[in-house]
Amino acid sequence: MKYVCSICGYVHDEAEKGIPFEELPADWKCPWCGASKSDFAPQEEKEAAAPIVTDAPDLSEAHELQKLSAGQLAALCSSLARGCEKQYKPEESRLFKELADYFTAITPAVEDATVMTIADALKEEIAFYPSLKATAEAAKDRGAQRVCVWGEKVTRMLYSLINQYLEKGDQMLEGKDVWLCTVCGFVYIGKDAPELCPVCKVPAWKFEKISGRN
Amino acid sequence: MSNKKIAVRNLRLCTKDCLCLYVCPTGATDTENSIIDPEKCIGCGECALACPSAAISLVPADYPEQQPKTNIVVSALNAQAQRKSSTEKAASQIAAMVADSGLGYLLEAMARSERLVTEDIMREAGYMLPQSANVRQLLEDLVANPPTPSFPIETAKQLLKLLPPPPPNPGN
Repeated sequence: MKYVCSICGYVHDEAEKGIPFEELPADWKCPWCGASKSDFAPQEEKEAAAPIVTDAPDLSEAHELQKLSAGQLAALCSSLARGCEKQYKPEESRLFKELADYFTAITPAVEDATVMTIADALKEEIAFYPSLKATAEAAKDRGAQRVCVWGEKVTRMLYSLINQYLEKGDQMLEGKDVWLCTVCGFVYIGKDAPELCPVCKVPAWKFEKISGRN
Repeated sequence: MSNKKIAVRNLRLCTKDCLCLYVCPTGATDTENSIIDPEKCIGCGECALACPSAAISLVPADYPEQQPKTNIVVSALNAQAQRKSSTEKAASQIAAMVADSGLGYLLEAMARSERLVTEDIMREAGYMLPQSANVRQLLEDLVANPPTPSFPIETAKQLLKLLPPPPPNPGN
């Protein structure tokens, strides 16, 4: 039997490794990405077909009806700032960054936010990915499908890490740093950044160390 | 859309062999900030061909519009982006309260991770290219109806001035 990591695709082949998956210790981690044992699934398991989203509003007058939240506009503008930077347009990039900062500042606070609420929110995000993927597939929108492939893996990793934290507290970070892939958002806990991002495959220098920067 | 190209230099790849300075017929590659001067560049491509470290590439002066999106996909993407931006906010709120701790670092990384994924979603939801008609429309809407009195309206106006105007006949 083979067990596959739902985040990076690492395969634990019981025949090759000589250890049944069940017998691996409870705190065993994926050797590539650090995901928990519970993030693995048997290879044979086929995903059930997800329903596609059908209750979309009519956006024929798109810009009028499409109300984006402050949080979405913040991400939209910071993305355009980066787009301008890539095109070597520093002035436009700075201006979009200003708009992004404004929208980040006016995004309303989440009431009574706790680590537990974040875990629940991540769980909801993961639960929505199958229908998002099915909707993108039905429309043959491969860009939207790619967003699902990366986003779902990154979100699963966040969920795995927050659960590891809920279980072990600060102990999970002892002697380790928090690393962020600045391309896809993959978060890794370890002494060094991975050589390649397990999700988007960029090299280690694209990772940023979040902890102990000062 | 014109076929005009301009050369851009990737500073991370540039090994300062400076062959681009020898071959450029207009001096566009010789600048104090290492950014090839788009005003001088005629898009001949000589610098890109000569560069031994493949640090220079040619990009179109006018970018094409993003691939068309169906309403249903845009709507589904927006629903997920909304969830994620709210998770980002919650994570950064708590991170600010427990700064300089293991949890603080973890949540800061999570907030930034959620932002990166939301950015990617918003690009696929029709806002990939800064020069697109969608972005122009959005900026015009924001100028016409600022979300709050503190909205930096001059910033949006300045962007509308800097971004190229839409083509006379938008080819949808």
